[in-house]
Amino acid sequence: MALFHLSWSEIGQHVVNGITLGSIYALIALGYTMVYGILKFINFAHGEILMMGAYAGYFFYMALNGEGVSSLSLFLFLLAMIGSMLVSATLGVIVEKLAYKPLRTAPRLAPLLSAIGVSIILSNLAAFLFGTKSKRLDYPFPNETILLGNVAITPHQILIVVSALVLMVALKLFVDYSKLGKAMRATSQNMNVAKLMGINTDFIISLTFAIGSALAAAAGMLVALEIKIYPTMGTLAGLKAFVAAVFGGIGNITGAMIGGVLLGVIETFGVAVLGIPQGLRDTVAFTILIFVLLFRPSGLLGKKEKEKV
Amino acid sequence: MLNFLSLLVIYIEIYAILALSLNLIAGYTGLLSLCHAAFFAIGAYTTAIGMTMGGWNFWFSLFVSGILASMLGLVVGLPTLRLKGDYLAIATLGFGEVVKNIIINWDSLTRGPNGINGVPTPEMFGLKFGYDTPFAYVLLYALFVAGTYFVIRWVVHSRFGRALEAIREDEIAVGAMGINAVKYKVVAFMMGAFFAGIAGSLWAVYNQSVAPQTFDFMLSVLVLCMVVLGGLGNSLGAILGALVIVILSELPRLTGLTSLIPAQFNQMFFGLLLILVMIFRPQGVLGRKRISYETEVARILERRSS
Amino acid sequence: MKRILLSLGLVFLVLGCGSKKLTEIPVGFIGPLTGDAANYGKLSLQAVQIALDEINAQGGIGGLPVKLYVEDDEGKPEKANAAFEKLYGVNKIYGFVGPMFSSCALAIAPKAQAAKVVMISQSATHKDVTSKGDFIFRNVLSDQLQAEVFGRYVAEKLGIKKVAILYIKNDYSQGLAMDFKRVFEASGGQVVAVETGVQGDKDFKTQLTKIKEAQPEALYIPNYVAEMAQILEQAKQLGLNVKILSADGFSNPEIFALAKDLANGVIFSNSADESGMKNPLRENFVKLYREKYGEDPDAFAQNAYDAFKVLLLALKNAYETSGGVIDRTKVRDFLLNLRGYQGVSGVITFLPSGDAIKNVGIYVADAKKKTYNQIAVYKVENNQLVEVK
Repeated sequence: MALFHLSWSEIGQHVVNGITLGSIYALIALGYTMVYGILKFINFAHGEILMMGAYAGYFFYMALNGEGVSSLSLFLFLLAMIGSMLVSATLGVIVEKLAYKPLRTAPRLAPLLSAIGVSIILSNLAAFLFGTKSKRLDYPFPNETILLGNVAITPHQILIVVSALVLMVALKLFVDYSKLGKAMRATSQNMNVAKLMGINTDFIISLTFAIGSALAAAAGMLVALEIKIYPTMGTLAGLKAFVAAVFGGIGNITGAMIGGVLLGVIETFGVAVLGIPQGLRDTVAFTILIFVLLFRPSGLLGKKEKEKV
Repeated sequence: MLNFLSLLVIYIEIYAILALSLNLIAGYTGLLSLCHAAFFAIGAYTTAIGMTMGGWNFWFSLFVSGILASMLGLVVGLPTLRLKGDYLAIATLGFGEVVKNIIINWDSLTRGPNGINGVPTPEMFGLKFGYDTPFAYVLLYALFVAGTYFVIRWVVHSRFGRALEAIREDEIAVGAMGINAVKYKVVAFMMGAFFAGIAGSLWAVYNQSVAPQTFDFMLSVLVLCMVVLGGLGNSLGAILGALVIVILSELPRLTGLTSLIPAQFNQMFFGLLLILVMIFRPQGVLGRKRISYETEVARILERRSS
Repeated sequence: MKRILLSLGLVFLVLGCGSKKLTEIPVGFIGPLTGDAANYGKLSLQAVQIALDEINAQGGIGGLPVKLYVEDDEGKPEKANAAFEKLYGVNKIYGFVGPMFSSCALAIAPKAQAAKVVMISQSATHKDVTSKGDFIFRNVLSDQLQAEVFGRYVAEKLGIKKVAILYIKNDYSQGLAMDFKRVFEASGGQVVAVETGVQGDKDFKTQLTKIKEAQPEALYIPNYVAEMAQILEQAKQLGLNVKILSADGFSNPEIFALAKDLANGVIFSNSADESGMKNPLRENFVKLYREKYGEDPDAFAQNAYDAFKVLLLALKNAYETSGGVIDRTKVRDFLLNLRGYQGVSGVITFLPSGDAIKNVGIYVADAKKKTYNQIAVYKVENNQLVEVK
């Protein structure tokens, strides 16, 4: 018995592949959603922050561990990840101060275009500084495939899913229960009132960028395990994650997580079940997105905005 | 030399038509659309396919290109029934990607990633257009820019155009006045798409080749940049935006810097200018200054807190 | 703004219409230097620069320095158009190497032909490119020729009957995949699965999962190295252990850094290295390249080097025989009459169509030594695969 023309092992394999892909989308989507929640603008440079984070992580890991795998490698990998998160957080804040902050009161499209300018600068800067060649981030362990029946799982996939999960839960706890998290939520609901209540909204915005960028850096290192590191690596991953954020309801943190994982699974699965060429994979993803938006105009978990008269 | 300069002028003219038509959708009606490259692509491919495989003549291809693009505009416009603001932007982004993917994958019709080449040049008044007649293109396309400009000017000054601007300012009030906003928005999409299709057709017969790489997301963004740079809802601004963006992006080539500095610097230079223009002229070069309630409140608060 | 453009134009007119006497020999390079394909453009450009330095160190052409004008086409036809118009209109080039992609080459070839500028592409493999005119050359195996040999080789010599194909929706990969499929099936092989990926995609697990279900004996991946490294790695992770077959794109040593041991044993076709042991041109070039740039050239960079070399020879010939000016048709004629030029990418002779006649080498990658070993050289004659000894 099999679903359509697929065998069970193939289905299992697609699920594994889809969840890996989806957890990365989810992690990147968080950055989009957080910034959107507060500033109501799409940070198109988010994918490039991810790319810069991946480079930083690569250099840290090479400096700490070098070539080869030892028993310490996994620890050093996580250490490099923390380092890259700090670098990206700093970069995110700098970008925010230079390119977005002066535009806080400008028409809505201005920061969008400014973000595109930032993304062009960052990807070309990386090409200039680090070269156009792809860099390989080594697995911090012997990455031998584990076969469950006919379904193949690799340790690096487990690392991706577990790290993504830990980071997402940590973020959720932070936003829901800490004082700063509460201030972030207040700022996102109404910046002016939050300001009147004594919240330093400029600081909160910087904090949002810092956290979003740090998560992007972590995602960047995890993505690097899957697709290597190169100057334009952030573009497609960023676009997809952005779709995932909208899919789940932009501005909603839980929505971004669910949207990311769902998009990953639907993408890998949709194509396999429908049996259409893989070249049309993005088409499937975007078509589903359009339909979801038609039936739930604010995404899966997004709140329906009240129309003010 | 003249060929190079006329190429730039022709690119500016084609982009100007794109910017004018997007301005109708994004500037006047206030619908953030990120799939203008798709309308442009439909026009370019219709002309390329019609003229190479169907043996159509230029004028007929031009007409069909516009019509097919506006049909796609209808399809894209329909979701505006339900979607607002950024969600509409994402849906249109999705449409743009879908169209590009179909073009790349429909090999039998579009010849896939290689694109279609050998598109015949137009022939009119006994003149065969070609490489040796760059000025004929410059002149003809200038007429198209002027035509688009005046048609759009006429539209926005009509009752219909006032309704579009009213929709942008306050859709609910417009609904309360008994105007069917949805109908107006869909028609705005169709008209914008029509002119983008015309631009696509002009693109195909000038370059004599079309390839899917041209019609990527960045192109939609670039046209949006032109509109915003010139000033949303300002037709002259859209033309100026096209002029400035093409010149800026070709500036290194124009000044001969391309052989002296690394290629990445050209791109970075463009990105930097984009940011600077947004910081110093966020409303665009010719933009009309509109009073926005939220900005005013923010400004007052800013003053109090400091 | 319009006035600025106008005055800019006037400045160029004045600069452009200087004295007629040549003070330098202007030549061009068009290729992707930014964007997704930037790395391939860069590798080729570096090779061209080596050839440029060599000729200028020897005193240029007839005492005049050769000046190289470089333009970035970002891999897009409309940028390639602008690049060509600039190189021809402003710099008055006599010939150029590039562009990288078939779509760009197809777009600008008619312009180069109309302007009588010799174009030699190092990597535009689409069959129609050279049919755009007699000024259009290429120093690369066309998809057709490469597949003609390799398809037969896989079926007849390797004895593989069931092959799966995974290609990317770009002009290079798709062209090879389609031609290979046709030839391989005509030679009695069976293609059990054809999967595609989008340009820029680096995750091929879905396709590979489907391919694994089809149980092929071998997997043909005619791609660029960044994608192939991904495919090798993900195939292994999914437990798909089959012979991997590829094409000239595999000859970029970057693959050894990206895929490590997984590159070992991959069999691929590329233009034959006929220099043998007596005339180690290719090795010398690779050594020089490595010393200068700290990285290795790929097959396209080697092609670009030779393309530039023969272009310079043609210019030298035209300059010397015309006495101080360069007759554009003489540049073309020299290339058409070139016979058996010994280059780093093999022996070059151009057909009247502008295609280089080359034999096809079969190579095996050796990940330990990070090199490729040529195991045989073939050509197709009278519809038969013939080994060249």
